[in-house]
Amino acid sequence: AAMRSRAEVDATLQTAKLNPAELLPAVQCLSFGPQAGGGECCLLQLEPGLCAELEAGRSLVIRGEKDEHAVLCSKDKTYDMKIADTSNMLLFVPGCKTPEELNADGASCNIIYSQIAGFSKNYWELRRCRPKLKKLRKLLMEDPYEGPDSRKDQTSTFSKYTTEDLLSLIQASEEEILHQLEVIDACKIEGYWRILDFDYEMKLLNHVTQLIDSESWPFSKVPLRVCLEELGSLEPREMIEHILLSYGRKYVDDGEIFFEMREDKICRAIAQMLLQNAVKFNLSEFEEVWQQSVPEGMTTRLDQLQGLALVDKSSRPETIFLLKVEDLPEDNQERFNSLFGIRQKWTEVDITPYIQDLCGEKQTVGALLTKYARSSMLNGVKVYNSRRPIS
Amino acid sequence: SGGTGALAQWVLVELQGEVEPRQSGDLAGNLLGDLHYTREGVPVLIVGHHILYGKVVQLEKPFAVLVKQGGAPQPSPAGPHGRYAVTALIKTKLLFKTRPKPIITHVPKK
Repeated sequence: AAMRSRAEVDATLQTAKLNPAELLPAVQCLSFGPQAGGGECCLLQLEPGLCAELEAGRSLVIRGEKDEHAVLCSKDKTYDMKIADTSNMLLFVPGCKTPEELNADGASCNIIYSQIAGFSKNYWELRRCRPKLKKLRKLLMEDPYEGPDSRKDQTSTFSKYTTEDLLSLIQASEEEILHQLEVIDACKIEGYWRILDFDYEMKLLNHVTQLIDSESWPFSKVPLRVCLEELGSLEPREMIEHILLSYGRKYVDDGEIFFEMREDKICRAIAQMLLQNAVKFNLSEFEEVWQQSVPEGMTTRLDQLQGLALVDKSSRPETIFLLKVEDLPEDNQERFNSLFGIRQKWTEVDITPYIQDLCGEKQTVGALLTKYARSSMLNGVKVYNSRRPIS
Repeated sequence: SGGTGALAQWVLVELQGEVEPRQSGDLAGNLLGDLHYTREGVPVLIVGHHILYGKVVQLEKPFAVLVKQGGAPQPSPAGPHGRYAVTALIKTKLLFKTRPKPIITHVPKK
């Protein structure tokens, strides 16, 4: 289309009965650019902080495979994406000037030609969400590391995952992924992230606790150097250090590295080792065996098993069974369905460890219970059950 | 991803209803209209036979303009799967919400 001339613009103003004296001298003639209808551009509404991140040169990434709802990840946060429809037309115009910019612009030209780069009737809205990290554990559990003696690794056909692989497969920000790798005690072996096979992990832990016992070290001061010297012939040094990092808190004293062993975590791991061998246990028998199985000097307590095991107080005798929160569904509704399938009525104390991880920025345990459960009184105690009829 | 240089700042123009080309065919290359501002800074857009009055709005939540990278266009209505680059930021919009005033042209007598 031919470019409009100033004379044509003025003629239009006259026909429109607009007084040029009341207008700024410059006019912007808007036309649709050659790519305008292509639909290759889309709009993304930015949550606070994201604009600044982009301007600082940082990236945003959209993650999700075809069967997943897409999420947007900044360096450290994850957002659900949702299309918002407006009934209006949104045109995006590069180089379109605001009144302030026209006034500030000293140029004397009174006609500017601006092309509309694209248009849309909708845009993507963002809502901060929990990172979808369950898949991370699932991927790493495809091929747990069983130690250097395991012949499995050489012949293994399973995928092993580097950091880059995980970034492209997991719907979470990089920081959230790296933090979760720490939480699940993953370690890097030959450039790949691995989770230890539980039996191998217990074998390593046992080496360390036996050494602590034979050396009569206090649990709060376990020297790294001596561990590596004494155990280095039994297991790879990296694995010894890894188990100390997983089950202890590292610190430096007088130039030497020590670990303060985490009693609760050790007791919890040993409980898991005992519980995984049967469907359920007589509670008092279990408590006895458990206390005898932990390193001497450590004390077992049932509250160490939150999110790992559940006590059935209604059975005679009372029993305990393994129930790991990480084995439960990630989606809120599915999680609650699963929990109510296991037990019809829950007290808040019992259910909290199994829904704590669902709490986001704005949702508390109380809010979740209000939304997904119905409360009633049972023997003077408040209990929660499903909102849906149990089929 | 963000660009290495400073991101361009674009402006959003929001119009009610649809914009249709005068002739058949798509919009590319066609004129939309003349955008003026009054001395008070009120945007005035003349589109065809209509005058639209609007206002300049600083967006509380800016927009990023994403451009799909490479590959065949995917039909996915479900999700924005694919690679995108941020081409520009939009912090300002011209909102034209008032009903357009028609321009009555004087039909010259023959």
